[in-house]
Amino acid sequence: MILDGVNDAAKRVVYSLQEFFTLAGKALGFIFVKPFYTADLFQQMDVIGVGSLGIVLLTGFFTGMVLALQSSVTLAALGMTDIIGKLIAGSMVRELGPVLAGLMVAGRVGSGIAAQLGSMRVTEQIDALNTLGTDPIKKLVTPRVLASLIMLPVLTIINDFVGIVGGNVIAKFYLGQPSGMYWRSVFEQVLSGGFTLHYIPNDFIQGLIKPFVFGGIISLAGCYHGLKTSGGTEGVGLATTRTVVMASILILVVDYFLTQILLALFSP
Amino acid sequence: MSDDEDDRRKKSDERRHPSEKDDTAMPRRARDSGRVRAAIRTELEEVAEDAADQKPVEKKGRHAAPTVISLENISLAFDEPILENVSFAAKEGETVVVVGESGTGKSTILKLILRLLVPEQGRVSIDGEDITHLTFDDALKVRQKMGMVFQGAALFDSMTVYENVAYPLREHTTLTDSEIEARVREKLEFVDLEPEKVMDQMPSELSGGMKKRVGIARGLANNPEIMLYDEPTSGLDPLTTATITYLIIKLQRELKVTSVVVSHDIRSAFRMASKIALLANKRIGFFGTPEEMTGSDDPYLREFLGGF
Repeated sequence: MILDGVNDAAKRVVYSLQEFFTLAGKALGFIFVKPFYTADLFQQMDVIGVGSLGIVLLTGFFTGMVLALQSSVTLAALGMTDIIGKLIAGSMVRELGPVLAGLMVAGRVGSGIAAQLGSMRVTEQIDALNTLGTDPIKKLVTPRVLASLIMLPVLTIINDFVGIVGGNVIAKFYLGQPSGMYWRSVFEQVLSGGFTLHYIPNDFIQGLIKPFVFGGIISLAGCYHGLKTSGGTEGVGLATTRTVVMASILILVVDYFLTQILLALFSP
Repeated sequence: MSDDEDDRRKKSDERRHPSEKDDTAMPRRARDSGRVRAAIRTELEEVAEDAADQKPVEKKGRHAAPTVISLENISLAFDEPILENVSFAAKEGETVVVVGESGTGKSTILKLILRLLVPEQGRVSIDGEDITHLTFDDALKVRQKMGMVFQGAALFDSMTVYENVAYPLREHTTLTDSEIEARVREKLEFVDLEPEKVMDQMPSELSGGMKKRVGIARGLANNPEIMLYDEPTSGLDPLTTATITYLIIKLQRELKVTSVVVSHDIRSAFRMASKIALLANKRIGFFGTPEEMTGSDDPYLREFLGGF
C-alpha cells in the first residue's frame, strides 16, 4: 500500500519533470523558428525588465548599504575598513546581485506570468490559440523565456551597480572613507579574478551566467504552472504560488551548484 | 387532505421515476406537467416547421453533398469512459447540433474534431482526410479550415476587438494592413456590430452577447469551411439568444458553412439544425432531422425534450 503510494508519487514527479523539460526544449527551440513574435518579445522585455526596475533598484541599494554596515563592524575591529569596496563588489557581483535580482523577479514576474497564462487557460484563450492554428508555446512561452534570458542579466548589472553605490554611501558617510578609495578597491576586486578573452573580467562572467540561468528558471516555472492551470480562479492562485515557490527554491539550489562549477572553472 | 398526508405524498412522488407517476395523485404543479409537455411538443413542432422554412440547405440536393466532418466509432476515456462508439457525419453546408445532458461529453466532440484530443478508438475525418494521427504541426494546418466559437467567447483580453478579429488573418495570410482592416470591418458588420464603435474596445468593455458576436466574427475571419460552436447561446437573455441563433442561420444561409453546434438550448437547436445528434450514456442515442426527433416515440427522447 505504502509502496504503491511512493510508486505513484515517483511517477508523477518523473512525468512533471518530463513535461517541464519538454516545454523548455520546445520554447528554446522555437527561438530560431519562424514566425518570430518580435512585438510580443519587446512587450515582454518591457514588462519583465522595465517593470522590475523599481524593486531591483531598491533591493540592490539597500542590500549594498546593509552589507557595508554589517561588514564595517567586523572590518573595523580588524582595522581593515579600506577593503570594504572589495567585499561589497565581490559579494554583489558574484552572489547577491544575481540571487536577489532572481528572487525579486521570481516574485514579481514569475507569478505574473503564471497568473496571466493561468487565466488564459481557464477562460479557454489557450484553446482559442490552438484552434486559430497557433502554437501557444511559440506565441506565449518563447517570447517570455527569451525576454527573461535577456533582461535578467541586465537587471543584475543594474542591481550590482546600485548595491555598490549603496556600499559607497555607507563607506563615505558612516566610515568616512573617500569615494575614490572605495571605488579603487571595487575595481581591484573586479579585476583580480582574471580575464576571459583578455578583456572580460571573470567576475563579470560568473555574475552574468547565473542571472541568465535564473531568467530561464523563472519564466519556465511561470509558463509551466500557468499552462497547467485547472480549476478556475482557485487554480490560478495555486499556479502563482507554486511558481514562486518552485522558482525561489530552484534559484537557491541551482545557485549553489553553479557556484561550485564556476569557481572550478574561473578560480585564479 | 391533511398537511401530513400531503407531505408524505410529495416525498413519495419525488422518489418515483416520472414515468411511474399517477397524474391524479400528483401535486398540482406536477399534474400540470402533462399539459406543459403537450404544449412544448406543439411548440417544438412549430419551431421545426419554422426552421424548415429557414434552413439554408436545399433538401433536394442534400444527398449529393460530400461529407465534410465524419466521426466513426469514436471511443475516448480519461479516468472513466467519456464516449463509446460515437459516430455521425456532417455533409457540406449542413448544421449538426449535438444536444445532451450536462457532462455527457458534448464539448469533447468539438475537441476531437479540432484534434485537440485524440480518440482511443475510431477515426475523425475532415474532408475525407483522417486527422486522428496527424502531427501537431499538421493539426494546426487542418484547424485553419475551421472557426470555433467558445462558450465564453475566449477573446484575447489583452487585445482590442480589431486585433482579435484580425489575429487569424495576421497569422495565416499575407494580406496587407488595409486588406485586413477591410476584412475585419466586413466580418463585424456580418455579425451586426458597428465596426467604428467596437473596433477599439477591449473585450472587458463588451456585453456577453457582443463578446459572442465578436467571437463569431473572429471564427469567420479566415472564411473557414467549417464552424464549430460550443454553447453559443448559454448565459444569454432570450433576445440575445435569438440574435445569436439568427446569426448562425444567416451564416449557414449566406456562406454555406458546415457547422457543428453543441447546445443545451433545444429551441435554438430546432431552429438551426439540419440534423440533431443526442448524446446519452456516452453514445449517440439519436441522430436525425428535427422533424424525425419530434416524431420519435423513444421514451428517453420524449423525457429529454420534456425537460425543456
